[in-house]
Amino acid sequence: MNFTRRTLGRLAIGLAAASCLISAPALAQEKPAPFDKPGDVKIALVRYLSTGDFFQAYLSGVEAQAKALGVDLRVLDSRQDAALQADMVDQAIALGVQGIIIQHGLTESMKEAAQRAVDAGIKVVAFDVNVENEKIPQIEQSDRDLARLALEQAIKDNGESWKAGYVYVAGIAPLDRRDETWKEFKAKYSGINEAAMFGTLDNPIANSVANQARSVLTANPDIQVMFAPYDEFAKGVKIAVDEAGLSSDIKIYSADISTSDIAAMREPGSAWVATAATNPAVVGQVSVRALAQLLAGEDPGKQVIVPPTLITQKDLNDNDIKNMEELSAKMPQFAHADVAMPAWMPNPNAK
Amino acid sequence: MTLRDFAIKYGFIALLVGLIVFFTLATDGFGSPQAAVFIFQSVAITGVLALGVTATLVVGGFDLSIGSVATTAMMAAAYAMVVLEQNALVAVAICLVIGVVVGLINGFLIVYMRVPDLLATLGMMFLLVGLQRIPTEGRSIATGMTMPDGSTAEGTFSAAFLALGRHRFDFFMPNLIPVSVVVLLVLAVLIWFFLEYTRFGRMMYAVGSNPKAAELAGAPVKAYKIWAYVISGVFASIGGILLAARLGRGDIASGNNLLLDSVAAALIGFAVLGAAKPNAFGTAIGALFVGVLLQGLTMMNAPYYTQDFVKGAVLVVALVFTFALSNRGRA
Amino acid sequence: MADPVFRIADLRKSFGPTQVLGGVSLELHAGEVTVLMGANGAGKSTLVRIVSGVYTRDGGTITLDGQDFAPASPAEAIRAGVVTVHQNINDGVVVALDVATNLTLDRLNGAGAKFLFNPRRVRRQAQEVAARMGLDVDLDAEISDLSLADRQMVAIARAMAHEPKVLILDEPTSSLSSAEANRLFAVVDRLRAHGVAILYISHRMSDIRRLADRIVSLRDGRITGMFETKPLDYEGAVNAMLGQNMHRAQIAARDGDGAVFSVENLSLAAHSRPFSMKLGDGEIVAVTGLVGVGKTAFAETLFGVRRPLGGAMSLRGKPYAPRSTADAIAAGVFLVAKDRAESGIVKDFNLYENMSLPFLDRLSRFGVARRRAERAVAREAIADLGIVCRSEKDDMATLSGGNQQKTMVARWMSQPASLFILDEPFQGVDIAARRDIADKLRASAAGRATLIFVTELDEALETADRILVMSEHTVVGEHRNEDVDIDRLLAEIAGQPMRGAA
Repeated sequence: MNFTRRTLGRLAIGLAAASCLISAPALAQEKPAPFDKPGDVKIALVRYLSTGDFFQAYLSGVEAQAKALGVDLRVLDSRQDAALQADMVDQAIALGVQGIIIQHGLTESMKEAAQRAVDAGIKVVAFDVNVENEKIPQIEQSDRDLARLALEQAIKDNGESWKAGYVYVAGIAPLDRRDETWKEFKAKYSGINEAAMFGTLDNPIANSVANQARSVLTANPDIQVMFAPYDEFAKGVKIAVDEAGLSSDIKIYSADISTSDIAAMREPGSAWVATAATNPAVVGQVSVRALAQLLAGEDPGKQVIVPPTLITQKDLNDNDIKNMEELSAKMPQFAHADVAMPAWMPNPNAK
Repeated sequence: MTLRDFAIKYGFIALLVGLIVFFTLATDGFGSPQAAVFIFQSVAITGVLALGVTATLVVGGFDLSIGSVATTAMMAAAYAMVVLEQNALVAVAICLVIGVVVGLINGFLIVYMRVPDLLATLGMMFLLVGLQRIPTEGRSIATGMTMPDGSTAEGTFSAAFLALGRHRFDFFMPNLIPVSVVVLLVLAVLIWFFLEYTRFGRMMYAVGSNPKAAELAGAPVKAYKIWAYVISGVFASIGGILLAARLGRGDIASGNNLLLDSVAAALIGFAVLGAAKPNAFGTAIGALFVGVLLQGLTMMNAPYYTQDFVKGAVLVVALVFTFALSNRGRA
Repeated sequence: MADPVFRIADLRKSFGPTQVLGGVSLELHAGEVTVLMGANGAGKSTLVRIVSGVYTRDGGTITLDGQDFAPASPAEAIRAGVVTVHQNINDGVVVALDVATNLTLDRLNGAGAKFLFNPRRVRRQAQEVAARMGLDVDLDAEISDLSLADRQMVAIARAMAHEPKVLILDEPTSSLSSAEANRLFAVVDRLRAHGVAILYISHRMSDIRRLADRIVSLRDGRITGMFETKPLDYEGAVNAMLGQNMHRAQIAARDGDGAVFSVENLSLAAHSRPFSMKLGDGEIVAVTGLVGVGKTAFAETLFGVRRPLGGAMSLRGKPYAPRSTADAIAAGVFLVAKDRAESGIVKDFNLYENMSLPFLDRLSRFGVARRRAERAVAREAIADLGIVCRSEKDDMATLSGGNQQKTMVARWMSQPASLFILDEPFQGVDIAARRDIADKLRASAAGRATLIFVTELDEALETADRILVMSEHTVVGEHRNEDVDIDRLLAEIAGQPMRGAA
């Protein structure tokens, strides 16, 4: 059984390697151990969150980079069950993997599980969860940078003095980090007047936020800028702005992007003018690359930060971008980040 | 009529009027026609769902699947238009068929398989939450999305469909009343008339109050129960259509908040006019009550968690009105 | 005769203004089965509940072995040695547990019970109990997998584990088949031989003939008959239980014209003898018999609630085989069901809504109910039957039992019927309302056949032109209500001596 699986695996890897050789001969350079025999390398992705476009894209990035390296990837999905996620780390240890990527989760439940993995000699990286372990590099999409890019664009478009509506729900780590940047900007630019703060995570989120935003706009019809640092919030705000007939008077700045966000931003007269986003697929790729560096004995650094890209309505229109694939193709800074990218590392986008 | 009778009968209506007066004085812009219309719009979707669940409450049942029926219908509408490139009519028809089919299955499970209503519809809820993700492997649906097979979906939401969410009728003022509010009002009047004035509605109440007596009076009890779930399913799917038209895309969502809000509206409705039983008028007022409260609080910059708290408090007070104070209420 | 083990003297109990027990005296002797007979509402359950410590008595004395016996709780009664097996078998066993745990359940509570649950000890104790009782049931079986008879056996064995001096069995055979009942009788014989004083409550004549050493009849909260000389006078006991003390309202018995409704070889239950009968126009026929002889099954068969096992029915010359209550109503067969609170009244509806319930389609136009017409029908019925209420919009809960029952009867009299069936229409109804309903039935009888099912003989004699007697799911006797041979009637009600007794 074991024998067959391994043989099959080797066969698959061999085929993949062969196709690599044909399509991208430049990648056939020497790789450090253990990636000289990548078929023997087993890694696991232990997930806390998995449903939704972001997590789908993240997974596709992980898969793409794992495939480019030729390693054997196991995906363990706890579906928002914190205890199960910790058990899954033990399961991965039992499976005999050499490396683990912990994707999201709770510090409390994952800290000890991560330590057990490290104790078992397994290399671990963590994405968007702080497991408080010196030996575990943190992969982060920089939420502060996301907020900063969007707000800098807002300052550029509207000057330093405007009345703002702000969408925020406390207690969600990425939103909290984005909130810190918003507070810094408010402190730095005294002309920014936060007339209303609202937000909810009742699903469908866009629908619930739209209801709230309508009330806010009724109470404060003179708002000029809406800062909605999460695309579901931005979608809701846009619906409310459209319904209130204020599309030409209000500009929406947000974070994150998806195909449907692109469509919403490109609607004629859309109030949604800019968003800052990290490509979740790139984050997935970087997660695997950082883990690969650890396995090869290199140091990716304590924090591996994936830089975000600012995407404006104008960029989308000028390049006639309709979906995420076209965004990656036409805005290369979005498709690839030069992070955790030693010379031997295969680039999954170079096909 | 004693003060207590008066409080039971008109307490909630008086509270609603009081709230409206309070918010009008406390905030700018609350007391305008636009704000009034908007409050209706904000409760249109949960209101439609609540009217549907009222039908199942009337026959002594319960439908936990309405939230996920709504989101499944939304996904189906988006899938029909964006992936299958169908027109608005087909999309609406598909949604309604989903509502009918889910209602029939719920009814079948409850009436013939004798699964308790809460459990049957809970199972249906999970089933639908999963089902809506299968065609797209968990992705939300929007024009230009990449399908699991790598192709790109080229269809768009048709203008006619989007009009369901965005068109506004002139009413004294130009572009005042959105379609969703009209749908809510029409459905509310329809179900109210159906339950209060037709013999079918009356028999449904009889089935809910004493199924054995209803059967011995010649009523096809099983058929009435199944019909109630079909009504609930269809109303939920109409809610889903409105949701899709408003969002303009198919969003993966469990619809649990839709479920909870609409059930709250229907239960608050028990207390309206001291009815102490499920009724369409009460449900509509209950939905409006929640809408006024939430929009008023939002306009006063109250954060979202205080809103949940207030919603819960209103529900508890309404239930006390219904079960403890009213002598018709029986626990 | 030896002194009685258990003596009840002048026991009284009232609920509010209603006196349920008006001075009951009763003695139980060791090694004897005393049968207590009584119709519904005679006070049997109240008596049992006082003796088993559920209710406290208002007056009178109870002694056990000469000591005063006044249990404050069921547990106290059991500890004193008076054990009751209640009618509802599932009250006597815990369905979620296995047999062994059930048999020893009472040892898990109370002083001296161990904190830890020791399955081995439980099993050992259970084996002792089962052996003593000759209980032939797998101790590891779950109660939910057992038949009703086996559950009954477990419940009795569990009761016997307390080694009681007095055992009270409340209608223990009401849900058992005759083979299962025979097993129960064997157990009762065994206990009697052990010297237990047994109070056996039943109105199944076959049980009584098989077991009784003495019979006590209870009626309206008083002992109306005591029979202890062998051979026991079973007819006398039934007579004392059903009562013959009424003042006979003189009925001018009428003969029906032609056959409105007839049944041919109708079979209601497996092994019951098929029977035939005819009902004429304008005739009121009462079907009487003890509880559990198939009266309600017969009524429900006529009304389409259940199907007959065999035979045919015809209504006004046409075959009649209703597949639902709606079919029956459409054919003009109406039923005033027994137990109005459970199967008649819709409590959320007011008076006129309750009245129009079955005929709402006839009172609607394009599916919309015509309230004005409904209320007119209701007002007419209120005047007609003398229903005491403020208006036709009254809540049903505000009406007295008699007026509620009048509403139920009026509901079905608002439309012309071909066959009008009333199942226990006088249950929980005061004497005035009973007269009103009976008068109304007789006055309006023309144009239909009327069939009433009653347990109380008085009610049949007061209302009907003809009386049919049911026993063991078949009709065993017929009397024209004119100089009825009461003795023969009672003998028929009491049934034939049991066939094939074990």
